[in-house]
Amino acid sequence: MKRIFLVLSLILSTAAGLRGADPAPALNAYAMRFDGDWRVAGGLPVKAMLVGLQGLVNRTAPRLYIIQAPGFPWEITDPLADFYRRKYGVAFTEVGSADAALARFAHFARGYVVWDPGVPPTLDVAYTIAGLEDAIVVDAALIPLAERHGLAKIDDLRGRYDGWSNAQIYADARARYWARCNHDKIILLGGQFGPVRIPAIADWGVRGRMFFEDLAANPAHPDELALEKQFMAGLNPDGTIFGWHPYGKDTEEQHTTLSSTYGLKMEGLQSLPNLSFNSQFTFTPGFKFTNNPSVPPDARLVAEKKVYLAFVQSDGIGLGVWTKPGRGRMPLAWNTPMGWVKYSPAALEYFHASATPNDYFIGGLSGPAYMYPNHIPAARFGPLMDQAKALMATLDERVLEIMDNSAADGNVGNADLTKETVDRYYAAFPDVIGFINGYGPARTRDLRDTRPLISYDYYIDPLRPREEVAADLGELIALNSQRPYFCLVHVRETNDVNSLIGVIHSLHGPVEVVPLDRFLKLAASDQTYVTRYQHPDDPKHFAGF
Amino acid sequence: MIRTYPKLFLALLLLPFAARAGDPGFNGRWHLDTGHSTALDGWSAMDLVITAGGTGVSLRHDMTWRSTHVSAVDAIDTAQPVEIGDFFRIDQRHMAVYALPKAAAHVRAAWLDGGRTLRVEAEVPLEVSQGVRTMRIYDEYRLLEGDTVLELIELHSTRERPLVYYFNKATP
Repeated sequence: MKRIFLVLSLILSTAAGLRGADPAPALNAYAMRFDGDWRVAGGLPVKAMLVGLQGLVNRTAPRLYIIQAPGFPWEITDPLADFYRRKYGVAFTEVGSADAALARFAHFARGYVVWDPGVPPTLDVAYTIAGLEDAIVVDAALIPLAERHGLAKIDDLRGRYDGWSNAQIYADARARYWARCNHDKIILLGGQFGPVRIPAIADWGVRGRMFFEDLAANPAHPDELALEKQFMAGLNPDGTIFGWHPYGKDTEEQHTTLSSTYGLKMEGLQSLPNLSFNSQFTFTPGFKFTNNPSVPPDARLVAEKKVYLAFVQSDGIGLGVWTKPGRGRMPLAWNTPMGWVKYSPAALEYFHASATPNDYFIGGLSGPAYMYPNHIPAARFGPLMDQAKALMATLDERVLEIMDNSAADGNVGNADLTKETVDRYYAAFPDVIGFINGYGPARTRDLRDTRPLISYDYYIDPLRPREEVAADLGELIALNSQRPYFCLVHVRETNDVNSLIGVIHSLHGPVEVVPLDRFLKLAASDQTYVTRYQHPDDPKHFAGF
Repeated sequence: MIRTYPKLFLALLLLPFAARAGDPGFNGRWHLDTGHSTALDGWSAMDLVITAGGTGVSLRHDMTWRSTHVSAVDAIDTAQPVEIGDFFRIDQRHMAVYALPKAAAHVRAAWLDGGRTLRVEAEVPLEVSQGVRTMRIYDEYRLLEGDTVLELIELHSTRERPLVYYFNKATP
């Protein structure tokens, strides 16, 4: 009854027009501001409780939004809140404390589950129970607060799993809860390992009654790997893993290889906040994505005898330099997380609305979400790429970025595509301008009809001194002495644009920085790059499962 | 002539022996001083293990990136050029410049400065976007005063800036 009352109390009046300079809000919602303390022995327990509560509060309507502190991995929460205010007419009332949040929202929960910071997986299990039983998660210190707000104990995990291995804990939780959980989505609550955890995506998992775990996809942990395979096999065929792999127990490459082997999509990260809120919006009425192409899609260009550079920012757009000074001063392609069409449409609209003519959006990674295509089962490749094509059409994107680090470990091994994989992409995407590949450098290259596939020749480490970046680029230009030379550069997320402009100015000779679409059109006119695919003899850092 | 330049004559007489003898201070393990060296790219730490005996010199590179460890040896000879199939260079791993596995590098080396400097010159075949290219690498390993610091200066025929690395002698 209380819930019905609160749903009704939301003012969901349509913004039917401006009333002078003070339009009525289309939606009243609440916002909390977090500080940056995610230490297990510090600010985590309260934040873990509030993020789980957010999932319950937002289960039927977008009511609670969290603004993260400056320096948080996702830098857009504050500007996106402002965008909700301006474009969606959301009026936020700020909630100042955990006590105030429970005073206002405790009625969305039926009780609490106690987790034990000394046994980290109990937080995952507690979140799983929270989604199924409409509970908040508390450590022992927060029990009085929960009870003060009328919440009773639903479960207490203290002591239940003492001395158990992670695999034993999750196997037990699987036996207890998996059957009742969402089988389209699962939460991989990995990321930081040890004294700091950032489970900011937990609202999404609690809202969707998902199973939480942080199992390793590492053959060095065979029990965890075997159980992780069971979870992946148990998801529905078009399933999605939200979150991120557990640092310290496995690698991004291992986990993404495994999920791709099951044809599952990966949506990162475990620190991604507010999905329970963001997912309940659509694009504003009449809004339509229009990209910023520099050339018509059917243009035929002819390259000159010079060096062409194109820069791509492929890490999560919200993680990157979007909100930092300098964007727009040079052509930069941005990989958009295409799944956000479903999960965070307002965020995509925000990026579009704040784009400059130098910002060009591309699709990826590898498909509708982050996947390693060399490992996607053949039967799943077509359906997945159909999803990717539909999302790219919505976002007016004509370049697909591909990445397969299954044989790599960061910068060791190779990041190349087999010829079979390349054949599949060319068949699946007849209407793209071209493809780009890699994260670090790679050497898969091709040109079929007017569609080139170019891999990164350089990756800019944000910590690398700029004079060495200039020397690296100069050396690539010297080594690739034929003109035109097409040099594709990956800009790591935290590089700032102003420093890149300084690097470009220090390069010698006829060098031109061009937008990615123009770069690919030019690369289609004169193939000075060697066609190449992953070769069986290429070094492989991770041999696979 | 001999009477006029006795020291020069003596030096020329001893040159072949000097060229074959490296200072024993080179031998051992050296830790890269990352704070004073050119920034590595894609590697976080490096040890150099030098073993010199006769005219042969073994340069072992123990490279680290997070939990990844790579070890590679360049076995050179100060008396004659050698062909090295898997020549290891301290590469900038974020550049698409790849060793050619089946192509050998032509490598020459010599002791200079009374054995206090080891010069290594290599012509290294590499794969880049546009095909196969050869990079000429010129290295000087210099044992600095006190024998606790090793300086490596590396020049590439394709790079404007020298790469300068400093290593501290590991305690046995």
